[in-house]
Amino acid sequence: MKNEKNNIRDFLYDEPGPKAKRRIIFWTIVSLVPIAFLLYRMTVRFQENGQLAPQYWSFFLKYTTWRFIGQGLLGTLEAALTAGAIAFVIGFLLMRGRISRSGILRKISAALIEFTRGVPTLLFIYFFFLVVPQTGLKLPSLLRIALPVAISAVGVVAEVFRSGVNAVPKGQTEAALSLGMRNRHVFYKVIFPQAFRYVIPSLISEIVIVVKDTTFAYVINFPDLMQNAKVLISNYDAMLPVYLIVSVIYILINFLINQLARAVR
Amino acid sequence: MNSEHKSGAETPVIELRTVNKYFGTHHVLKDVSLSVRQGEVVVIIGPSGSGKSTLCRTINRLETISSGEILIEGQPMPAEGKELAQVRSRIGMVFQSFNLFLHRTILDNVTMAPMDVLHIKRKDAEEEALKLLRQVGIEDQARKVPAQLSGGQQQRAAIARALAMHPKAILFDEPTSALDPEMIQEVLDVMTSLAKSGMTMVIVTHEMNFARNVADRIIFMNDGAILEEGAPDEFFAHPKTERAREFLASFRNEQKESEL
Repeated sequence: MKNEKNNIRDFLYDEPGPKAKRRIIFWTIVSLVPIAFLLYRMTVRFQENGQLAPQYWSFFLKYTTWRFIGQGLLGTLEAALTAGAIAFVIGFLLMRGRISRSGILRKISAALIEFTRGVPTLLFIYFFFLVVPQTGLKLPSLLRIALPVAISAVGVVAEVFRSGVNAVPKGQTEAALSLGMRNRHVFYKVIFPQAFRYVIPSLISEIVIVVKDTTFAYVINFPDLMQNAKVLISNYDAMLPVYLIVSVIYILINFLINQLARAVR
Repeated sequence: MNSEHKSGAETPVIELRTVNKYFGTHHVLKDVSLSVRQGEVVVIIGPSGSGKSTLCRTINRLETISSGEILIEGQPMPAEGKELAQVRSRIGMVFQSFNLFLHRTILDNVTMAPMDVLHIKRKDAEEEALKLLRQVGIEDQARKVPAQLSGGQQQRAAIARALAMHPKAILFDEPTSALDPEMIQEVLDVMTSLAKSGMTMVIVTHEMNFARNVADRIIFMNDGAILEEGAPDEFFAHPKTERAREFLASFRNEQKESEL
């Protein structure tokens, strides 16, 4: 069915006429030329510098290499899932605080949200890596990466949740109240389930950021994908192949997250 | 009239005593007093902006009042908490924009409050819900979500949802104003049969024929105050105030135009 508008382009543009179609083909070709040229030049340069030589690639045929990458992948997933779970719980609580009836609670939550959104992740990493141990508190290495990554995400998660809650029509609350439901029940049974559906796309973006932030694990020697990649590079002196493969794995992870989100919806 | 000697003298289900409300400096309800007896159907009409919706919404405290008193079954309306929720659970409300819970099926919409507030078991609540949906003629829509229903069906579902709490009275806040013309009648039919079954109703509407047929009493509001009050035949035939005559004339013109 062509007349069903479900592609974003259908909302942005008219159906193209014959002139527009020709123009689209022309610009497609024009933009493909430099991309093809760049790819070609890159390959040539790598070839000239010997980066494509078999010795830099052959270790990918070994089972141990992939086991090592797999271990790194597990480390990344472990860190991302832990950080994501912490960020969701604390983000939810901060959102509750931010929309609380108590002015003090609102102000404190707003301040925490601004703070966690404003400070770079690396700073939190250093804080948990260098400052926290000085207090004598010894955190397991998983938490040393997951906590700072989570904290730098909670502010955004809180605001995303809040935007969802604000998007639920006021009539939903009124209807639930008029039936005699208590405020807390109205929130958990009527408002939040709807708000959550509205914000799934934004939450996915935030999960992707969390996954990417776990690459800071190399700072504290937590064995994630990035850290293990560095080890491989120093063992085989093969920067290009390792970074290339690892990038593809990160892209795959985030692609899978997106697919999962689509399935949930 | 001496109510003490009247057998069955009862406290009104809803009573408003000199209620005033301000939105900022805007005086939206002016000394409004109103009492609704058990089984009575009171229809509030008046030009838009006259405060009739606001009046309707103050009765279950979706709008607060600035001064005056609201009594439900003789008891002052609680200001908050469990007590307020308890009173609200006995006063149903039907909204202009239906306000069905968009994320749940029609059946869930009807069972949610009975299960949550009255702690009725799911099985019993669903049985009752299906009976009510049959009563309003949409039992075959029970498993759909609101967005799959027409406006008229949604509003009938909303009425079933209100009925599921076995309310003492139901407030209707312009229940047909958001509907396409051909769907208005199906909702009015449900409301008419409710009225005949003895339900206590307060209805804000622009449907004059319906008002005339169903109302026990018409309230005419203008500029935040009750200007006229009386039996429908009397009111529609001989409005006492100039403002009411103007208001009714505008409707008659509209009707004539649509007949041409």
